[in-house]
Amino acid sequence: MKTADRKALKVFQELLENPVNRLVEQAAGDGRIPLGYSCSFVPEPLLMADRLFPVRLHATGIAGTEIADNYLSSLVCSYTRSILEFAFDDRYDLLQGWVFVPSCAHMQRLQDNLEYLKKPGFVHTIDVPRKVSEATLDWMEEELHMLSDRLASHFQVDMGPDSLDKAIASWNEYAETVKAVGELRKRPDPPLTGTEFHAMLMASLASPKDLIMPEIRAFRDEVEQQGDITGHRARLMVVGGHLHDPDFIRVIESQGGLVVADRFCTGSIPGLMPVETNGRGPVRALAEHAFRKTLCPRMMEDFDRRLQSVIDIVREYNVDGVVIEVIKFCDLWGVDSMPLVTALRDKGIPVLKLEREYRLGGEGQLRTRVQAFLESMGR
Amino acid sequence: MGFRIDTVLSHTPIGARSLVNRVSAAAGYAFRGLRELILDLSSFSAADFLVYAKYSLLVWGCIARVVIRRGPIGFIHELIRYPWMLHLLRATALMRRFARGRSGLYLESMCMVVHSVAELLSELLEDLFYHRDRLIITEEMVPPDIARAMGLKVWMLEAMGILLPMMTPEFCLKYIDEAENAGVNPDACSLPKATMGMVMKGHMPDGLALVSSNMPCDAGMASYSYIQRAYKLPTYRLDVPNNFTNDRAERLFSEDLKGMIAFLEEHTPGRMDWNELKRICEGRNRMLDLELELWDMIRLRPAPLAAEAVILSHMWHFNLFAGHPKSVRHYERLVEMARKNLEEGRPATEKERFRTVLWNPPFPHFVDIFNKAERLFGVTLINDSMTYNHHTPIDTSSPETMLKGLSMVIMQGPMVRHTRGPADNYLDDIFRMVRQFDLDMVWVANHVGCKSGQAMNGILRELCRERKIPLLVLDYDLLDPRIASRDSMMRQLEFFMENVMKVDRLEARRTG
Repeated sequence: MKTADRKALKVFQELLENPVNRLVEQAAGDGRIPLGYSCSFVPEPLLMADRLFPVRLHATGIAGTEIADNYLSSLVCSYTRSILEFAFDDRYDLLQGWVFVPSCAHMQRLQDNLEYLKKPGFVHTIDVPRKVSEATLDWMEEELHMLSDRLASHFQVDMGPDSLDKAIASWNEYAETVKAVGELRKRPDPPLTGTEFHAMLMASLASPKDLIMPEIRAFRDEVEQQGDITGHRARLMVVGGHLHDPDFIRVIESQGGLVVADRFCTGSIPGLMPVETNGRGPVRALAEHAFRKTLCPRMMEDFDRRLQSVIDIVREYNVDGVVIEVIKFCDLWGVDSMPLVTALRDKGIPVLKLEREYRLGGEGQLRTRVQAFLESMGR
Repeated sequence: MGFRIDTVLSHTPIGARSLVNRVSAAAGYAFRGLRELILDLSSFSAADFLVYAKYSLLVWGCIARVVIRRGPIGFIHELIRYPWMLHLLRATALMRRFARGRSGLYLESMCMVVHSVAELLSELLEDLFYHRDRLIITEEMVPPDIARAMGLKVWMLEAMGILLPMMTPEFCLKYIDEAENAGVNPDACSLPKATMGMVMKGHMPDGLALVSSNMPCDAGMASYSYIQRAYKLPTYRLDVPNNFTNDRAERLFSEDLKGMIAFLEEHTPGRMDWNELKRICEGRNRMLDLELELWDMIRLRPAPLAAEAVILSHMWHFNLFAGHPKSVRHYERLVEMARKNLEEGRPATEKERFRTVLWNPPFPHFVDIFNKAERLFGVTLINDSMTYNHHTPIDTSSPETMLKGLSMVIMQGPMVRHTRGPADNYLDDIFRMVRQFDLDMVWVANHVGCKSGQAMNGILRELCRERKIPLLVLDYDLLDPRIASRDSMMRQLEFFMENVMKVDRLEARRTG
């Protein structure tokens, strides 16, 4: 598969080397307030009001989780263990607050252990319901109001409607820009790889949006000027939970499977759909947006929506095969993927289910499985 | 040589699992049961002999009544549909495990619990046989009170996965394998895996509607994505908020319960009868009163009753039959027994040296571990986390107050309370129990599939050390003895007692 050597990509890779990168340091140095969060149900625009900015918690480059294992046990998902390990190493010390969602038992216990061990100055839990109705939307709106009130009083920031509207507009601009780059992958020969796109997306989630936007635009221009990716054996979609390290996608693509769609927690589909305010107030809009743009197995009544979204994306992006990646010990994806795999295969869509750890490991094994998958598709 | 039911069922090709095989397996079990009964009875005093014999006959009477009422042909037909029923023939073996080494009213309380399980289980089976036109399928954490008040019959999908390993420890293995072979992650909790396996094999009944919830854990909740697709039934899902200790949560969840009632009225012939719900809630309140009275008595050292009489009673009666007249009567009898022992200054067991609580789910495939701990080291199990509720009695003055009360029962119920909200919900209850029941140690049932519990062990270990409370973290799998065998569990217990508690054994350990 022929790929281009891009200058902008190196910037994104460098920004992902540290959980608190130089753009975060720069913004914090300017008196702005970085807030860590770990789940897609946390509305980023709410954490972009006034001097606040969100930083998606990641632990790219983690080597081991020996200390975290003592607390969380080695039978809990390695993402949460990696975050706790980095917290022990004071790698998040620049963050001034943490916003969690009890999206699963692992995430909830990560928060419990973090509070017990590190006692951060600001920790907030958004109690996101597990089904969507008018009543739970009202509940979610109240939850976001509570977070907003706490942020306003703790950090002395403006969380009023105008400030939130401005943050939403800014986030929408960011989302539209990134989404537009992502949609270039619909072309028969896309101008960028899944690795490049994911590096850009992850770097943007881990940086202040305003500071990274010039880099994203530069990357978009570079991509548009250079030639298309040719010689791939198949077009793949990756589906699953947290996937932070672009190298995971690099390994898949090294076998000729071009990743053209990313339907996982930290992916762009459908996570980057714009927030629609509709005159009902910014907080209500964010509550509705959180449910609409997140397709997580924690949502009890959404299985058909999750399934249909994969089928729709397969058609829209002309995908040849689906790779479902599940972090070991993740019960939500581990159990939910069983009927999902069956239903997709029933529709004639080839599926490869990969169990993995948070950090990239067993690269050779991964290559072999992807290679076998591509061959099984006759590619 | 006795027959082994699991050997017969597992090693016989499906096509050849004929009626003859099943009948011969049943006969083998009957023979083995009789032999065990004779052996057990020979170790009792005359009075205990009579008690044990009485309850054995009562248990067999329950089984016989189900068979006779259905008729032999009809029952064999049901047996083919629900092959797991064969394992129920081992109910007296369960009684034998509980009764060993125990005497007097303590022994009788154990026998009575097993009999009460058999008696009410026969009612559940009759619902399967005769009331399928009113049967709904529910998940284990959905209390059946409301559906029963609507005149519906309830089949809790997970119930047999918990109950039957108590009789046949390997019962769930083929169901767990079935689910794993279908693609469920092997590291998930074995209860949802076994439940999905039973559904995959077609060993669970059909119903009119399905009600599940977001409780108690991620795997349990996610398993209903598959179960709903397998059943193709209209489904309602209850959603307990994570932060449930406030009026907002009570209101939201009460509304959710109303949504469930409307759903059931739409999809089943059931109609809400608030008077019936009032009767059930009053029965539940009465049971709660009695349970609290029992707890007050077992706080004293030595306890007048303990172990399975306390924990299995709660697990069965509160979770499946709250408010049922037979459950109320069961608790009345338990309280009478405890009071009598207390008045006569007779402890449940003379061997009580240490008092403990079991935190997290119990050990269905090694249900007599408490009996062994009692006989070997004088450790008495006083209570467990699955029994330890926090709700107040239900106000039965209006439908609104009843729903509010029931929502609190659910939200403050075992596992729901301890797997939600901040860590304090989990930790505070442990230390409160230590004080309330004058405990000497804490046992954590460290189920490998329970991530929520696993991730609390580090904090709990440090807090117990600070408070100088000995802590046994006993590794096991809820339903799969292949992960941690009975022997390895006993070794963990022995290591803890000998090296941490530094005590000698009261009697030699024997296998079996």
